[in-house]
Amino acid sequence: RELYSQFLREMIIQPGIAKANMGVSREDVTFEDHPLNPNPDSRWNTYFKDNEVLLQIDKDVRRLCPDISFFQRATEYPCLLILDPQNEFETLRKRVEQTTLKSQTVARNRSGVTNMCSPHKNSGPSSLNEYEVLPNGCEAHWEVVERILFIYAKLNPGIAYVQGMNEIVGPLYYTFATDPNSEWKEHAEADTFFCFTNLMAEIRDNFIKSLDDSQCGITYKMEKVYSTLKDKDMELYLKLQEQNIKPQFFAFRWLTLLLSQEFLLPDVIRIWDSLFADDSRFDFLLLVCCAMLVLIREQLLEGDFTVNMRLLQ
Amino acid sequence: MAKQYDVLFRLLLIGDSGVGKTCLLCRFTDNEFHSSHISTIGVDFKMKTIEVDGIKVRIQIWDTAGQERYQTITKQYYRRAQGIFLVYDISSERSYQHIMKWVSDVDEYAPEGVQKILIGNKADEEQKRQVGREQGQQLAKEYGMDFYETSACTNLNIKESFTRLTELVLQAHRKELDGLRTRASNELALAELEEDEGKPEGPANSSKACWC
Repeated sequence: RELYSQFLREMIIQPGIAKANMGVSREDVTFEDHPLNPNPDSRWNTYFKDNEVLLQIDKDVRRLCPDISFFQRATEYPCLLILDPQNEFETLRKRVEQTTLKSQTVARNRSGVTNMCSPHKNSGPSSLNEYEVLPNGCEAHWEVVERILFIYAKLNPGIAYVQGMNEIVGPLYYTFATDPNSEWKEHAEADTFFCFTNLMAEIRDNFIKSLDDSQCGITYKMEKVYSTLKDKDMELYLKLQEQNIKPQFFAFRWLTLLLSQEFLLPDVIRIWDSLFADDSRFDFLLLVCCAMLVLIREQLLEGDFTVNMRLLQ
Repeated sequence: MAKQYDVLFRLLLIGDSGVGKTCLLCRFTDNEFHSSHISTIGVDFKMKTIEVDGIKVRIQIWDTAGQERYQTITKQYYRRAQGIFLVYDISSERSYQHIMKWVSDVDEYAPEGVQKILIGNKADEEQKRQVGREQGQQLAKEYGMDFYETSACTNLNIKESFTRLTELVLQAHRKELDGLRTRASNELALAELEEDEGKPEGPANSSKACWC
C-alpha cells in the first residue's frame, strides 16, 4: 500500500507539480526542453503521450458497468493524497479536462466556426447524464479505477492500456470497495492495483496484438474452445462448423474478458472465485465456455446463423 | 419454409473508439439509444431486413472495436464485407483525421469494389462540434464516398445512411444479383458463401461461388 502511494507520488503528483510550475514560471521551457521538442526523451513528449493513454482510459471507465450505479457514486474514501485542496498540482481530472479543451481551441482556429462555447458551459442534453464529474473534494469510483489503470499503463509501457482492461479491473475493485470491513474498503485502490497487476501477469498475452497467433495468444485459445467442444459434444460442434460460426465471433470476448461482459456482476464475481481458486484456471475457463455452449445446445441445434449468433453474443 | 429475404449483405462499421458505432447500430436495428455503451471488444453482430427497390435485403452488420489493439481481429472481417461505414465523431477532430488511416486499411484488406460511406456521428452535439459539415463533405468527395451527418441520439439520418449503403451495394452487385435470382435456390445466402483461403474449415464447408 505504501508502495502504491509512492507510485501515485511519482506518476501523478510529481508530473502534476512540475506541470503546475511550468505553467507559472515557464522556467522549464528552455531550449533543451519545451512543449514542441520533437525529441522522444523530452519530458513534454512523454506528457503528451501519457495524455493520449489517459483520454482513452477516461472514455472507457466512464462507461464501465452502466447497468449499475456503483461506479458513478462517490467513494467514501477518496484519495486524500490527490484531493487535498491545498495541492496546486494537476490531477488526472484536470488533465483530461485540459486536454479536451486544448483540442477544442485548435479546432476552432482551424475550422473558423465561430459560435462555439467553451466546454465548461456545455449545458445541453449532455450535462444531464450521470457521468458529470463530482464537485471538488469528492471523487467517483470510476475515477479511482481510472487512476489504477493509468498507473498500470505507466508502469507497463509495453502494453500500456488496452480496452477491456477496464472490464477486468472493475469487478476486482468492486469486490474490495464494497467489503464490509472498512479497512479493506479504505485501501481498495492500492489492493486492487496489485491484484490487477498479478492477474494481468497471467492474462496479458490476450491483450497483446503481436501474440495473437502464437501458442499463448488468443487465437490458439479460441481454437481450443472448439476442440474441447468437439470432444464433448460432436453434434453441436458440427452444427456450428456447418453454419460457419467461428469461435472468433463470440469466444474472443468471452476469453479476453474472462466472461466479465457475459454475466451480471454478482455472477461474474462468483465465476471468478472458482476461476482464481483453480490452479489450472485457464483450462477451467475453457471448460466453462464449453459448458455455456452445451447448456444452450438444443436452441443452437435448432437455430440458424442469425439466431445462433444472437444467442452467443 | 417461406423465403424471408432475397439477398444477404454484410456491412461493417469502423472508426475510432468512442465515435458511436455501437450506438448507430443499436438505433438502426432496435431503435434504442443508450448514452453509455460498454466498449466493444472484438466484434459484435446484428442483423436487420430492409426493403430496397422491392428487394428484401437482409443485412448483417458487424460492429468492430475501434482501438488499435483489436485490429488483427477486426481486419479479418474486412475481406468479407460488401459495404463499409467509416465513422467519425463531429466533436472529435482526431477521429476525423484518422478516417484517412481507416480508408487505407480498407484499401488494403477489403475486397475490391467494396462500397463505402462516410458518417459524421453525434450531430446533435452542436456545441461541441470540432469538425465542420463542409469538412466531412470535402473528405467524402476526395474519396468518392457519400456522406451523412447522423445522430444516434436524435435518430437523424440513421435509416437513411443504412439504406443508402445497402442501395450502393445492391447497385454494385446488380449483375450477379440478376443471375442469382434466376436460380431457384433459397439457400444461397451470402453469409454462407464464406471462402476462407488459408484455413479450410472441414467437410461441412462445401465451396460455393462467392460474389465479391
